[in-house]
Amino acid sequence: MAENQNTSELNTQKPYKYGFVTDIETEKFSKGLNEDVIKLISRKKQEPDFLLDFRLKSFRQWKKMREPNWADLGYPKIDYQDMIYYAAPKQSDKKASLDEVDPKLLETFDKLGIPLSEQKRLSNVAVDAVFDSVSIATTYKEKLSEYGVVFCSISEAVAEYPELIKKYLGTVVPINDNFFAALNSAVFSDGSFVFIPKGVECPMDLSSYFRINSGDTGQFERTLIIAEEASSVSYLEGCTAPMFDTNTLHAAVVELIALDDASIKYSTVQNWYSGNEEGVGGIYNFVTKRGHCKGKKSKISWSQVETGSAITWKYPSCVLQGEESIGEFYSVALTNNLQKADTGTKMIHIGPKTKSTIVSKGISSGKSNNSYRGLVQMGPKALGAKNYSQCDSMLIGDQASANTYPYIRSQQPQASIEHEASTCKISEDQLFYLQSRGIDFEEAVSMLVSGFCRDVFNQLPMEFAAEADKLLALKLEGSVG
Amino acid sequence: MVDSQQWLQSLPTAEGLLGKVQLLGRQSLLQKGMPSISDEDWRLTNLNQLKEFLSLPISCQDSKLTELNCREWPDCSKEVFRLIVDPQLRPMDPETLPQGLQILNSKELIQALALKENSQPSDVSWTELINHASATKVLGLSVEGKDVPPIELIINAEPGKFSSTRVIFILKENAKLELVQVVLGRGNSTQSHLLEMHLHKGAVLNHAFLGYGSGQSCLLAKLSVQQESNSQYCFTGIQHGWALGRLEPHIVQKEGEASTTLRGLQITKGKEQIATHSRIRFEGPEGKLDQLQKGIAADHSHCIFNGGIEVPRIAQQTNASQLSRNLLLSKRARIDTKPELKIIADDVRCTHGATVSQLKEEELFYLRSRGIAFEQAIRLLLKGYCQDVLKQLPLPAKEWSLLKNLLKNVS
Repeated sequence: MAENQNTSELNTQKPYKYGFVTDIETEKFSKGLNEDVIKLISRKKQEPDFLLDFRLKSFRQWKKMREPNWADLGYPKIDYQDMIYYAAPKQSDKKASLDEVDPKLLETFDKLGIPLSEQKRLSNVAVDAVFDSVSIATTYKEKLSEYGVVFCSISEAVAEYPELIKKYLGTVVPINDNFFAALNSAVFSDGSFVFIPKGVECPMDLSSYFRINSGDTGQFERTLIIAEEASSVSYLEGCTAPMFDTNTLHAAVVELIALDDASIKYSTVQNWYSGNEEGVGGIYNFVTKRGHCKGKKSKISWSQVETGSAITWKYPSCVLQGEESIGEFYSVALTNNLQKADTGTKMIHIGPKTKSTIVSKGISSGKSNNSYRGLVQMGPKALGAKNYSQCDSMLIGDQASANTYPYIRSQQPQASIEHEASTCKISEDQLFYLQSRGIDFEEAVSMLVSGFCRDVFNQLPMEFAAEADKLLALKLEGSVG
Repeated sequence: MVDSQQWLQSLPTAEGLLGKVQLLGRQSLLQKGMPSISDEDWRLTNLNQLKEFLSLPISCQDSKLTELNCREWPDCSKEVFRLIVDPQLRPMDPETLPQGLQILNSKELIQALALKENSQPSDVSWTELINHASATKVLGLSVEGKDVPPIELIINAEPGKFSSTRVIFILKENAKLELVQVVLGRGNSTQSHLLEMHLHKGAVLNHAFLGYGSGQSCLLAKLSVQQESNSQYCFTGIQHGWALGRLEPHIVQKEGEASTTLRGLQITKGKEQIATHSRIRFEGPEGKLDQLQKGIAADHSHCIFNGGIEVPRIAQQTNASQLSRNLLLSKRARIDTKPELKIIADDVRCTHGATVSQLKEEELFYLRSRGIAFEQAIRLLLKGYCQDVLKQLPLPAKEWSLLKNLLKNVS
């Protein structure tokens, strides 16, 4: 508890408290990308041949693709040859026990509020910590394995469960899906793998924590979650990065697969470094996240709180194939200073009686640009499918912009789609009411913002909800008035 | 099939009053080329069909409409002034104009055209460029005072040809007008139409645009409206029967403090594809917008709506609402709808909504339980659905927009 107080004190002093760099010896490849680099990554990880083929195929595909520019995000051209595709803290291989892990790394994660060592572990949350390109440690592995749950880094999964990887990798996000997904498929270095066997309700929340440490390395992690029949899991993802003047690319791919009656809940609190007030530096967060509700009555729920990154460009999506499957998307996106966010979701209804709900809250302040872009598509077989979307934007200051672009496409008369949206600002009356009751200005603003986001915060797991609330307040500090 | 270069070469040499506009238009077209699926605004359009329609021969200078399909037209009541123009915009019946309505002379026309040249280049859409490049004549009308009778302006396409028409309306200060514009497509024809409206301070315009195609006809219409403060613009756009129809109402409230009401109805059947791409920009504070767009798609048709609203920083206290409602009547039909809101001003109220569904079971059941046959019940519900849009039409338009006609062959 005492430690918590310390961190919250720290919060108010520093706008971005995770901006430190860990000085640790890392092994890096030289800059640039070609087939040799990919082969080297693959060899480094001792991957089976099918994965190398997968990577090379993706790379060839990627070379044929053009970088998309339709979102009009206006970032300078990324030089893909001026980037390091593999960086790992130097340690021979993954240690059996945490005691052998470089104490500096443990310290780093301690500082980030993710204690990995036995005695300090977060209670009832299993954590997979990813540092630059590799997974450092996964906690509570043994306990999980009692239930048959597999939770490990994707490299370990490749070694231990190659048949699962072979069966599912790239099935939800095919390698030619988009430019960044193809790049990721070619060079992905690590990430988390979760497998929940039939009928198992995962006994604890699973969580992965991504940390970018070096400034010239792109982070390309890959997450694959498979929930077999009648299983369920809740997965949390957190991310931070140090402050650099350069922009770092983060192009991850997340694939979720839910079979009959399975349910997956995926929550993200994204707090990458967003650049300074003049917009220098920060992470380009170009992520492809997609869930496939393959089985009957399966359910995939995305909840995200996007506060960081210089540019966020992602659309966590659901492909609703199984009959009566359910897709949900709850999002809070906050932009400040010169940040840009173009985020939303795609709900692709294929199967009959599928249902989806979208709740998106955008808050733009400073000179930022915050867009909701979403697609709801009803295929010809989506009989009786239903969608409800709600996107609300809140503007703080008259220089930020809030854009809404909902795309709706229907090919099924017996499907119904409802979409509503509104734009507002923090009302003077509400502020006055709170202030007249002795609540100071900043606190009143953060209370109102938190109220605005309540629908989404309610969907987050407990620990995350509290953190998200604090994070928003912190991000907005000094931007109102 | 043509590419833009071929098409441009088939145009007559640029000359006359619009010579400069033509040259500029052709230049920009040459740069831009044909729209492709990577253009957000044309992504959903059947581009092959568009190319086919563009390859129709250009209507030439001396082409005349020998026969009019007047028999199908409703009678014109005495209070209404009916103005019929041929594809070259020559009034077919050079009657004396009613008081308050004037045809602009060339000097005034040049002035009016210059107004447009100052507008932002991003505002000029491809549809407009096509018209700039090809239109050889422009009809300009100015309206003064409040006592001008309702005007019915009928534009007829020439079968088998590509015709291009441009009309400018200037509503002087505090002028008031009811305008019904009917664009008729016939046979295998393409009609490119550009309509510019300038509403001076306090002007009030109730405008109906009735685009009725038949056969394999194509409409590419752009409506560009500039509103000064305290003006009221009320627009109802109905599109029906085009193999490929596209209407782009583009409204700019130049000083804010104006009110805009937009109503749209498009009904598609067969293999038709009809689209409305509206854009409204508020360039001053306290502007108002009320927009309702309805679509009905039957058979194999495709119904598209794209509604942009821009509220820049200066447009504080804007109050804008947009609603897009769509009925999908067949399993093979498609509906695409996309509101687009870009908001920077913070003290505004902007809402939008969109729905796509079919007729409500309960409503049908209610009617049927009262002894109304299934077919009739559907018809009744569809009528009611359209009525929301039609009720705002200026009086003379009521004759034209017979629901019976609109819903013919829609099942």
